[in-house]
Amino acid sequence: MAEIAIWGVIAALGLATFATRLSFLALLGEGELPLWLRRILHYVPPAILAAIIAPQILAGAPGLAATLDGPRTAAAIAGFAVAYLTRSTFATIAIGMAVLWGLTLLR
Amino acid sequence: MPSADSPAGQNRQQAFLAGARACISLAPGILLFGMVCGAAAAGAGLTPGQSFALSWMVFAGSSQIVATQLFSVGAPAWVIVLTGWVVNLRFMMYSATLAQQFRGTSRFERWLAGYLLTDQAFAVTLARVLDGRKDIPWFYLGIAATLWLLWQVANLGGIFLGARVPADWSMDFVVALTFIGVLAPLLRDRAMAAAAVSGGLTSVFLVLPLKLNLMAAALIGAAVGIAMETGMHLARRKE
Repeated sequence: MAEIAIWGVIAALGLATFATRLSFLALLGEGELPLWLRRILHYVPPAILAAIIAPQILAGAPGLAATLDGPRTAAAIAGFAVAYLTRSTFATIAIGMAVLWGLTLLR
Repeated sequence: MPSADSPAGQNRQQAFLAGARACISLAPGILLFGMVCGAAAAGAGLTPGQSFALSWMVFAGSSQIVATQLFSVGAPAWVIVLTGWVVNLRFMMYSATLAQQFRGTSRFERWLAGYLLTDQAFAVTLARVLDGRKDIPWFYLGIAATLWLLWQVANLGGIFLGARVPADWSMDFVVALTFIGVLAPLLRDRAMAAAAVSGGLTSVFLVLPLKLNLMAAALIGAAVGIAMETGMHLARRKE
């Protein structure tokens, strides 16, 4: 992508995000979100976070023939267990990377 | 605006400092996530200036990572903006809740509060609201401004240090682990878990043109989550 287009994307995403943050605080005035919209917004974060994580534990590209990468899958499961129990980003990354490095060295 | 010496000014100062102190326990995670975002942006080929612009203009980790990944796979500009923005739509919910707390504050305070809005600042402030405290706006500004500062420092660190990490350390996986750290605490019920599982499966098996996979995963995941919630609701009503 051209230099100027990259700047355009960053500025557009920044302004759209800013407008979203300002929405009820400063632009629209006080109000309630309709229930249907609140429900959509509630479920988008887990869906999109999982969608970013999942392809990273694959051995190759996404697609119908996708297969899991052993060490990355094990590291993701270990990280998930730590995150679920401790809620600590730091511990999640530390344990997950230790598992990944350990299994990669053993292979 | 009252001066810092007046009683009202002192209360504000105290609330602001209490907010800043509330960041301490969040700092390690924020610093690490920020460094990951900065390193990812620089690693995707953005210039240091562009990487830092993501940090202060978008100022939202998941959205920065999404934009970074879509840049690196050559997605069209509109797909990057749309997908990155959908990740941030949740701020609208926070904005609606905070607006009630910022009733009667100045326009400057409300615009600043909006710019600084993040998951962590909102969550900690909401807990204080539920405790029945009255000093919410300046407490919020204290935590939100401190988190902003930590975030910018961490991103800069990642932008300049990230390039020095050897490729065979698989540091790209830190992004996945960071997101696992954000995702796991969200999965409080079956509907949230269903949204996550269907979003993950969609992104693995569905390959769409224009790199619209993440958008599709967000929509399908949200639809499955809502369907599951509705189903659970109906099942409870039958009992």
